[in-house]
Amino acid sequence: MKGPSSLVGRKETALFGILLFLVLLGGFLAVSYGSWLIEKQDVLQILLAKWGLYDGPMDKVESTIVWDGRMPRLLAAFLVGFSLAAAGAVMQGVFKNPMASPGVIGISSGAALGAVIALYLGLAAKSLFVLPLSAILFSLVTLAMVFIIATSRGQTSISTLLLAGIALNLIFGAMTSFVITLSTREFDVGRVIVTWLMGDLNNRSWEHVQIVLPTTVLGLTATLFFVKDLNILMTGEETATNLGVNIRLARNMLLLASSVTTGGAIAVSGVIGFVGLLAPHMVRGLIGPDNRKLIPLAGLLGAVFVIYADLFVRLVVQVDLKIGILTSLMGGPFFLYLIIRYRNRFEYL
Amino acid sequence: MMKKRWALLVTGMILLVAACDKPVRERSAGPPAPPLDMEPLKKALSYARGETQEEQGWPRTIDYTYRTYDFRTDTFREEKRAFEIERRPVRMVPHAVGVAEILWAICPRERLIAFNDLSADPEFCVLAEEIQKRDRIFRTKQTELIIAYEPDLVFTVFYSGEEFKEKLVQAKIPYFDLGHFGTIESIRSQTLLLGRVIGEEGNARALVASMDEKIKELKAKIPEDRSGVRALYYDEGGYVPGRSSNFNSICEIVGARNVGAEQGIKSWSQIDYETLLKWDPEIILVPKGSGLKEQVEANPMLAHAAAVKAGKVFSVPGIYLRVTSQYMILSANYLAAIFYEEGI
Repeated sequence: MKGPSSLVGRKETALFGILLFLVLLGGFLAVSYGSWLIEKQDVLQILLAKWGLYDGPMDKVESTIVWDGRMPRLLAAFLVGFSLAAAGAVMQGVFKNPMASPGVIGISSGAALGAVIALYLGLAAKSLFVLPLSAILFSLVTLAMVFIIATSRGQTSISTLLLAGIALNLIFGAMTSFVITLSTREFDVGRVIVTWLMGDLNNRSWEHVQIVLPTTVLGLTATLFFVKDLNILMTGEETATNLGVNIRLARNMLLLASSVTTGGAIAVSGVIGFVGLLAPHMVRGLIGPDNRKLIPLAGLLGAVFVIYADLFVRLVVQVDLKIGILTSLMGGPFFLYLIIRYRNRFEYL
Repeated sequence: MMKKRWALLVTGMILLVAACDKPVRERSAGPPAPPLDMEPLKKALSYARGETQEEQGWPRTIDYTYRTYDFRTDTFREEKRAFEIERRPVRMVPHAVGVAEILWAICPRERLIAFNDLSADPEFCVLAEEIQKRDRIFRTKQTELIIAYEPDLVFTVFYSGEEFKEKLVQAKIPYFDLGHFGTIESIRSQTLLLGRVIGEEGNARALVASMDEKIKELKAKIPEDRSGVRALYYDEGGYVPGRSSNFNSICEIVGARNVGAEQGIKSWSQIDYETLLKWDPEIILVPKGSGLKEQVEANPMLAHAAAVKAGKVFSVPGIYLRVTSQYMILSANYLAAIFYEEGI
């Protein structure tokens, strides 16, 4: 492993530059275009005014469209994409499995069940915060459940964690289906649930940013705190123990952090597939497995995915295509391409 | 001990989901008074008796046009069909709410032997209170129960399912498949068709005449200078009904303009708040109990919308937008009060 001095090489800098450019470009397109036509110059003036750098005349309606409509949607897309991809990178590292994703231990299914129950019971109508908080609560309960199942005599087995995740995914999936079945009676509630399960950023506001921002920051801070341990863990538990890593603490904290980021993201956007699986894969292929670089860069790529997917469904397609469908439609074939391309490198059973 | 805790937790979660059979829904303040009194209007639309009955003998062949709406292409499909029926049906089962509501008005009620559960639900059926008093209420998928009632005619609709119809065929129970019910014109023609099928042509014509008369009365109450008000129904998830929706038909009855249809929406489409602001309807309707009224009114972007500024965001009980029978006039009457509040 390279030392801190060589942490950021030319490849990483170039990739960071490209991703940052894509985020900024996507962001500019997202705040500039919508059903209400606003001149790009006016958009810039509005943004500058909000940041205290411009005090000229502005159209109030245009200002609120850019700042209260498009901006929170863009930030929500950024944070959701970043969270899912960063969580995916952590999961792949902890489980030492390139097929791992934020949903692997049932967190996504748990969050989805929480949200669906809140929608079905009509609780989501009480406040904007009820649905996301219900999703986060259920994701944390799920995490607690997999840990309790996988822990025996103070030791948490990684393979039991995965198996428990598979089982909970099935159980929560079935329960979600059951709630959907109940909701088909009320056509409008059923439609909202199905839309939410396909991933949707329509009408996301600053309140949604307030929900996903803390979970992203909290989760990432905790992740970065243990990122060196994650790198060592990936070389094997024996080595990690020899190097003085508290394996149990590091692994549990990393899983907790990625669960919090995943729960927060899903709570705001609904279920968006493949971002958490694909983004870390692509970045790892370019810069290698060092999680100190992989996690932030995969996060940025995830943000790029979600921002552009949202732009596409919002501005380009005229049918009700949802982000989750688009990311899976694009991500699935690309993932297959990666599998076929690198199949010789995989170990045979 | 550990196993017990887990069993309790899992059981608790299953019970929580299972207990969700009825969503919790808030109630809000009453709406403005409608142009026509709701109760007498409901009564007039619930019982129709005409003079001439049974213009054709039994057995009879009903030639009719089966019309369905294809939401994928936004077109109507028409098919000429013929239905042969041996004798006057006296043990009928409607498989949909709209059909039950029409039959309730044109047919002696003892001939209706069972109703589906939605017909007994006040969120879906205007006659729920009356139907709840009947002892035979089945869930839509309870085919065996319907067969056990031994009906001599079942009225099915496009969403009844082919498996259900096949089961009826196997049980040698005749069924009559009805097409589109979404507009007031289609409800008129379906009512007349139902009259022919059950041998109550006079009653069917009386109901249609009553519908036309009530529409005329309602229109007469609408101030001419206020007609053409631009209204938009904003459903949960940001969905807006378009040209082929019930809401559009209701708007047409009371001379209002459905903004969704104006903007080219065919059946239903999702729009964001920015688009809502751009379309800027005079009146925004949202489903009652959805929390959308509060969300729309509190949204900083929509604070610039004409409807929000004028305090014209109203929550409407879902039943008025789901209705697909003669009671669409009841919905139109209810919404007219909102559309033309100051003028009536």
